[in-house]
Amino acid sequence: MKITDAGIHPYPAGDSTVARMALEAGGLGFDSVVVIGDAAHRSSGVEVLRGAVIGASSVKEVLKRVRDPAVRRADIVYVDAGDISFNRAIVSIKEVNVVRSIHATRRNAFDHVAARTASEHGVAVDISMAPIIHLRGTKRQRALQRYADVLSLQRRYGFPLTISSDARSILGQRSVREIRGLCALFGMTGAEVTEALSSIGRIVEPHRPVRVVE
Amino acid sequence: MRPRPPAMRTKRRYILARILPYEVQVDQKQVYLAVIEAATSLLGDAASGLAQPAVVFCEGGYVVVRCRRGTEKDIAVALATVTAVGDERIALRTVATSGTIHALRRRMRPIRHLSGDGEVKIGETYFAVYRYPRQKVDLVEKGIKHQKSLFFTEGDLEER
Repeated sequence: MKITDAGIHPYPAGDSTVARMALEAGGLGFDSVVVIGDAAHRSSGVEVLRGAVIGASSVKEVLKRVRDPAVRRADIVYVDAGDISFNRAIVSIKEVNVVRSIHATRRNAFDHVAARTASEHGVAVDISMAPIIHLRGTKRQRALQRYADVLSLQRRYGFPLTISSDARSILGQRSVREIRGLCALFGMTGAEVTEALSSIGRIVEPHRPVRVVE
Repeated sequence: MRPRPPAMRTKRRYILARILPYEVQVDQKQVYLAVIEAATSLLGDAASGLAQPAVVFCEGGYVVVRCRRGTEKDIAVALATVTAVGDERIALRTVATSGTIHALRRRMRPIRHLSGDGEVKIGETYFAVYRYPRQKVDLVEKGIKHQKSLFFTEGDLEER
């Protein structure tokens, strides 16, 4: 079981390099990190996976973008969530692994239909720590409400969750213990947090029946 | 005034947190204001009032925050949401919680500043170099105010 930070944005998008963020992640209790963007790094204890984010306004555009060489090279493919019909459609695309930025969508943008489809296709929903850490007031309250709503759907339908720091700097990274505390704010239990942190490992290497190779 | 007998005093807990980046110098009062703002906005006036958070001291890259016993987890979560002290971008990394400051002092490891500092040019900007153990290199933009910081490793610096 690998504990993974499902999304960091290193230099030049942020102010810390991949190597430094991987070093910090190791110290904070992570076994691997997913780097958003095209940053290569030689491993130094912490496994660095490559993630690609698709920010599209239509399903047609998503279908076109998943064929890009940069996206095909990625270990994890993220799509930014949108409105209700968009979300229902993207969770059934085979190449899509994770739906992210769910906190920025409208209240019912990710509903029970999308949740059931996500569960059937093994598509995860990302919970970003950045809105809880950086936002204040009603914006943070709205993010917490959205996460609580996603959590209730996850408990009912069983789709995977991932947790990302969405850090652009080592100052934005948080330890596993701190993430556990932050997730408790919207009712996530310790066991659920551990399962969500290890979801990336299951997405990258899914459990399959043993094949006998002659 | 006669002090209360020990059994009637409020039980306290102390949280030790490391301040990042290492080279930043912060004022204790500014840290207190940042902690109170974070706790109040996250937990509300009632809960943070009952928790009675206070900054006991702030030295050597560490800060010790005091709170009522039973509220230490809430305050530790609030510390995770502190992103700036005054104009400085910082992060507070919780190290340990204890019932005595003495126990926390034993957990405070001085931050070793390695030799070999100098300056480096990235793009058009000059940065002062601060080296730390485990090949960590912090770059601080040369200037008087609002300097940008970059966080590299020795390997990253050699590649440039």
